Amino acid sequence: MTDPTPRTVTLALDNVTVRFGGLLALNDVSFRVHEQEIVGLIGPNGAGKTTAFNVACGFQKPTSGSVAFPKMGRGALKPSQLAKAGVARTLQGVGLFGQLTILENVMAGAQSRPGGSVVSSALGLPSGLRLQRAVRVEAMHELERLGIAKFAGALPGAVPYGIAKKVSIARALMTRPQLLMLDEPASGLDENELADFSRLIAELRSSTSVLLVEHNMDFVMQLVDYLVVLNFGQVIAMGSPSEISTNPDVLAAYLGIDE
Amino acid sequence: MNRLKFVRSQETTSSRLLTVVLLTALALAITFVLPPVADSQLAGGAAITIVILGLSWLIGWSGQISLGNSGFMAVGAYAAGIWASHHTTTPLVFTFVLATVAGAISGLIVGLPSTRLRGPYLAGMTLAFAAAITPLAQNFTSVTGGSGGLFLSSLVTPSWFLHLFSGQNATINANAQWTADLAVLIAGLTFFIMANLFHSRTGRAMRLVRDNDVAAELMGISLSRTRTMAFVVAASFAGLGGALYTVINTTVNPQTFPVTLSITLLTLMVLGGIGTLSGAVIGGIIYAFSPNLITHINALTGVNPTSNLGSNMQGIIFGVLLILTMIFAPRGIAGLSPRLGRLVKLRK
Repeated sequence: MTDPTPRTVTLALDNVTVRFGGLLALNDVSFRVHEQEIVGLIGPNGAGKTTAFNVACGFQKPTSGSVAFPKMGRGALKPSQLAKAGVARTLQGVGLFGQLTILENVMAGAQSRPGGSVVSSALGLPSGLRLQRAVRVEAMHELERLGIAKFAGALPGAVPYGIAKKVSIARALMTRPQLLMLDEPASGLDENELADFSRLIAELRSSTSVLLVEHNMDFVMQLVDYLVVLNFGQVIAMGSPSEISTNPDVLAAYLGIDE
Repeated sequence: MNRLKFVRSQETTSSRLLTVVLLTALALAITFVLPPVADSQLAGGAAITIVILGLSWLIGWSGQISLGNSGFMAVGAYAAGIWASHHTTTPLVFTFVLATVAGAISGLIVGLPSTRLRGPYLAGMTLAFAAAITPLAQNFTSVTGGSGGLFLSSLVTPSWFLHLFSGQNATINANAQWTADLAVLIAGLTFFIMANLFHSRTGRAMRLVRDNDVAAELMGISLSRTRTMAFVVAASFAGLGGALYTVINTTVNPQTFPVTLSITLLTLMVLGGIGTLSGAVIGGIIYAFSPNLITHINALTGVNPTSNLGSNMQGIIFGVLLILTMIFAPRGIAGLSPRLGRLVKLRK
């Protein structure tokens, strides 16, 4: 990395290679996400962005190489360990729980916090109920902060796509993440919603680092601090948006220009 | 405004308790006016309600199919039967706790491998479990009494309760009603517990896994633990229901828990409303009083109850009811009346 001041690293991928049979999905990929940094992972379709995401989240075991979350003092994690360790991830599309209300969806983000055993749940003991009530209030605050509180009682299928996307972010924020991983946050959003989202993600910088996979270059370029460009499973460039936008390798990969 | 509304709409344990106490009191009052035969039927219905509560939790909330609930019931029933036939002086509550724990353990054993199975494969595995229980009970004669089963001593009706009755058949009336009241009280307690579970963090974990398992994992939920837990809870309810059924009938034998009982339980749950508390009660009531309906239908149609057709009438009636429910009320009878649901805050 070219960063002059040492900053805490929240996510480190080192020499990650993933092979699916004969296909080399990721080839010796290394990059870092620092605290309070917004990093974009870009590349043409099939470049390995989602595979890199899945490796970081433990959904995909790398053939070789390692994943670590140094700031949290953790090595590679299983998906179900992420939330507790302070890593939140949104899914492509919205990935909400279809039969739960918007408010319950956001409350689900607090599921990894301690909050009563099965036995105390069964008996309806006050301690568990107090925690649940606190979570409910917090989830409502989160919805209010994002300006979507009026949808609290609706089911995800009944709200506009842009709102559902915000709900998925609210749900991720309920895990109180130190690293927020967003899988195509801009897809399917209109101009106004994009501007809104851009503002929202930029605001998160003070509390969490963000790693996002995105296709919409306008959206990415004005939002992120740092870009990692993948092509055919390899990192072909890393740098600030201005560096990347003039990088000949990146232009070739995206526009098919022969050097 | 919204926030307040939603925070307040969170029902509390005390409001839930009040609802359950009122419903239980109503059911107890009804036992006073029912004839002894109907009281006995009601007691059986209460036991079945407990089993359906567990099944509804497993299928409706955790999204896992089970055809093994007759097996879980049998485990509880035999645990109660084996214990109570040898230890006639221990308090009844001990028998019930033992049966619940035995049910839970069987749920754990079946649930652990089930976390890797879905849909028809899971249905097949649970069905195999239910089918294996009956031969097991038949073959371990020294413990289970074989085909003849085990016999328990009747429930002892306390003398203060006997004093409430007078006239002819006072003892018979008192015994039948005492059994029904006990069953209703236990069903009320389990209803309260399930109502709490439905609305708890554990209940939400079940629904998260059911709706979107990938997202649920990202919320920090262990899929295998949650799915196994769903089985453990459902099987412990079935175990308790089976024990209550045994205590009511003072006998347990392999014929009581055929695999077809699992299908009947499933049908009753769907008729009442999958994943609803009130649906389990409705299912239990249908079970309890379906013999009356069948008698009426046999009388109306002139079908001989001992004929082939007559003896299979329950299956036919349930089948027809199931088809009608699927067409006209896919969410079950409980789903027909949202107002009733809201009134007692049962539906989700």
